[in-house]
Amino acid sequence: MSSDRIPRVGIGGPVGSGKTMLIEQIVPILSDRGYRAGIISNDVVSREDADRMRKNLAAERGLLPEDLVIGLATGGCPHTAVREDPSMNLSVVEEMEMKHKDLDLIIIESGGDNITTTFSPALADYFIYIIDVSGGDKYPRKRGLGIESCDLLVINKIDLAHYVGADLSIMERDAKAVRGNKPYVLVNSRTGHGAKDVTEHIIRDVLFESLPKAVAKNK
Amino acid sequence: MSTDKITTEEVSILQLSDSFFPTGMYATSNGLEALFYAKKIKHPNELRNIIKVYLEHQIGPTDCAALGNSYEYVKKNDLKGVIKVDQITFSMKLIQEIRDTSARAGTQLLKCLGYFIADNELLNKYQHCIKNRQAYGVYPVALAIASSSLNISKRKAGLMMIYAFLVSMVGAALRLGMLQHFDGQKIIHELKPDIVEIVNSNIDRPITGMWQFAPGLDIFQIAHERMSSKMFIT
Repeated sequence: MSSDRIPRVGIGGPVGSGKTMLIEQIVPILSDRGYRAGIISNDVVSREDADRMRKNLAAERGLLPEDLVIGLATGGCPHTAVREDPSMNLSVVEEMEMKHKDLDLIIIESGGDNITTTFSPALADYFIYIIDVSGGDKYPRKRGLGIESCDLLVINKIDLAHYVGADLSIMERDAKAVRGNKPYVLVNSRTGHGAKDVTEHIIRDVLFESLPKAVAKNK
Repeated sequence: MSTDKITTEEVSILQLSDSFFPTGMYATSNGLEALFYAKKIKHPNELRNIIKVYLEHQIGPTDCAALGNSYEYVKKNDLKGVIKVDQITFSMKLIQEIRDTSARAGTQLLKCLGYFIADNELLNKYQHCIKNRQAYGVYPVALAIASSSLNISKRKAGLMMIYAFLVSMVGAALRLGMLQHFDGQKIIHELKPDIVEIVNSNIDRPITGMWQFAPGLDIFQIAHERMSSKMFIT
């Protein structure tokens, strides 16, 4: 691995599962801890997610420069863009690495897709898959490559569980059964519940609890 | 004894021109998406005619000629010549997303090639120039290096590139719902003589003779680049 390579987290999940909102929750927590992140957002039919994060995280809160939120169209093939042929994503990642060597982390959001989404290991070092309760509590039990193989499973919108008749204990039980010892986190991305746990996983398992580059440089 | 033998070079042709080969080009439509939303194409025959304009007025006299020229420089191990073609080709692409996509696709093609082709001096030097921003890594030049290193002839390399462009346009049209899959294959079939003619008339075109003129398409590509909601990179 090149010494210039910046650790990369891939976040995948179905349309509307809360990928963008999860990023909007974890980037401020990372920023509070001194970690700087760049974001690449793959969108299926619009630039809306990238534009929203650029506005919310960069323009309004100043947590990162606006050019560190990049939107990427995928030609209607969201899973291809992060797995079979991640060429465009890799190019953008490499350009970001060259221009912003001081970044601690690059977050790559896949376009909304189905439960077979995974990331090419050439693109992402760590893979978070996010589902939400509105698909029913059968979701983890249905398996799919994303749920089974991700490094961290996030179950979002837990506040809606009782409205849609989803039993969180069943989802937890099945997540454990399907994934063995691999972790999962229950999240409400609207309130931020669980976002700190997701961020801790990233800091521990991706950044290996290393000091933020900006801090290490001044030591 | 049968003379119907196949060679590894022919297999390499299949490998590089297969849409499965990772270059990211499937994410582009070259402005076709904007034409679709403007309702400018209503029949598969109109799509075929538009693709022919792309090939005859943009891709043929620029990319195919760039491939031919860079291939010759590669054969002479002339890195300066390769970079000259690279820079001219990049500057001739009027739309930023199309310029950047060509450079990204070419750069990734070379990286993939370098993963299974070892010790190609010119490939290594060219990649070094791309990293140091002395070259862009545009797709036709990258394909010339890849083809040469796999012993694919210049003309066959041109055929691969033009064919791949045609397939990517038909693929984009299919994903936009502009036609059904049989229509797509019919368009490819009908354009076969044109592909041959476009390769033959451009692959030996001198570098000073490279051109493009398709202002109508340029305008739609500009409009596509600026669309706020779109499925494809321009």
